[in-house]
Amino acid sequence: MDDREGRLGGRFLGGRGALTAILVGAFVLSLAAVDWRGGVFNTGGLSAMGEIAAAAFQPDLAPDVLAIGARSTWTTIAYAFAGMTVALLIGIPFGVVASGVVFRSARTRQAGAAGSRFALAGFRAVHELVWAWLFVAAIGLSPVAGVLALGIPYGGILGRIYGELLQDVPEAPLRALRSAGASEWRVFWFGRLPMALPDMLSYTFYRLECGIRSAAVLSFVGLGGLGHNIQISLQDIDYSRMWTFVYFLVVLIVVVDVWSSLQRRRVAVEQG
Amino acid sequence: MRTGFGTWSAVAALGLAVAAWVTVFTGELFDAGRFFSADTFERGFDFIKGLLGFETVTTPAFLRGGEWAEKARLAGETLAMSAIAAGLAAIAALALFMFGARNVMMGSLAPYGSVVWKGLFFLTRALFTVSRAVPELVWALIFVFVFTQGVLPGVLALAVHNAGILGKLGAEIVEGLDTRPVRALRSTGASRLQVLVFGVLPEALPKFVTFLCYRWEVIIRTTIVVGFVAAGGLGAEFRLAMSLFKFTEVTLILFWYLLLVLLVDLASARLRRLAA
Repeated sequence: MDDREGRLGGRFLGGRGALTAILVGAFVLSLAAVDWRGGVFNTGGLSAMGEIAAAAFQPDLAPDVLAIGARSTWTTIAYAFAGMTVALLIGIPFGVVASGVVFRSARTRQAGAAGSRFALAGFRAVHELVWAWLFVAAIGLSPVAGVLALGIPYGGILGRIYGELLQDVPEAPLRALRSAGASEWRVFWFGRLPMALPDMLSYTFYRLECGIRSAAVLSFVGLGGLGHNIQISLQDIDYSRMWTFVYFLVVLIVVVDVWSSLQRRRVAVEQG
Repeated sequence: MRTGFGTWSAVAALGLAVAAWVTVFTGELFDAGRFFSADTFERGFDFIKGLLGFETVTTPAFLRGGEWAEKARLAGETLAMSAIAAGLAAIAALALFMFGARNVMMGSLAPYGSVVWKGLFFLTRALFTVSRAVPELVWALIFVFVFTQGVLPGVLALAVHNAGILGKLGAEIVEGLDTRPVRALRSTGASRLQVLVFGVLPEALPKFVTFLCYRWEVIIRTTIVVGFVAAGGLGAEFRLAMSLFKFTEVTLILFWYLLLVLLVDLASARLRRLAA
């Protein structure tokens, strides 16, 4: 159906022409739909912008601020890593079932894959901060709420990608294993998994980088970390201190980014 | 040496994960006695009952037509905010991404080989790095000081963060392009600028649009979150309902939120097929 639509669109507009028209149209319609009354800047907003921009070049480097920065950086890392563990615990089993590759009976396979995909879509549909707020409301202000809030949507994303990667491995080596008499589980362990693993690892590392960023804002619902200190500094209208914490976050993200891209490059080299 | 880095990475990641859990369970916010008590369970159960409308004395919000209409309006506003944010991010990224591509600025495709362009390259990359390292929510916290309360601070926060991401992705697309067709264009006598506009840009755009669609899926999920600090859309309403303990309204908001996410995911899949 989609194919035919594509061709029809192609005849009249050109697929890309239609796409451009849709995108620009959606943007303009949205601009028109929103209430823009009230102007652009706050009273004093422009001078606030000037002060914020100027403070970017004069971060507060007092020792106690740096100490708080270092401590909350670790809190943020801790939330990210603990959350990623939960994400893996969710993503791996759901991903394997969603790929529909380990069950022999067709009916179990389809039912498992469909159910698993539905669950994963649900996990990742809700943003981690919304999860965080719901968890804090449900079980109180505990770090466990933050870790679960991060782990559930990230598990949903990891599971989806793992499932797709496990499905997309080349079939020929698997057939070889099967014809040698390997059970479906063995085909998975010794064929599918080793072939998909490098990509799974590199995607996990990429997600870790996102996880750090997400962990930083979990603090918004009252769990510590860099975001919490950024928020407090803004409430005190201390822009210099805010920039100090922002720079801590930027450096942290860059370090993890470099680590994960080194890891990914190595994987790419190994795969040839 | 070849397995060295991978092993080191794995050990480091594992070590950090263990240390992370130790931090989580020994932190001042964690109270084991209270957490592993019937109280926690009961509280969670009460919250779910609240969401389902068993705790309220008034009619649950999801049984009132007026509430449905009101939340639908906010859902529409949220959708519009996400589209504006994606659009602004795309415009900013499109204006900048060429300056962030190494091969355009100082490599094989460099139009003007000078120190100024090199500097511009590093400046652009630094701009991308900072704008995407700072989460949307933090940008929103900053922007509410500057811009009028309303949808603007939230939309701009989303736009700035995503412009950094799209800009970096766009630059990487250009760096990864097959340069042979581009060089063929050069050999026909096209100027360097013409090469960029007619050679590089058309090749990079379809991939760019694909990424834009993926980002839109993320943006719709995050639009509700910037609404926690800035006004507008379902996010601000979610914050209000949560702080007033109007949990049946929360249920209704979550319903519209999930519907929006589903809609945008489907739309994005369609659009990506058009781009391919």
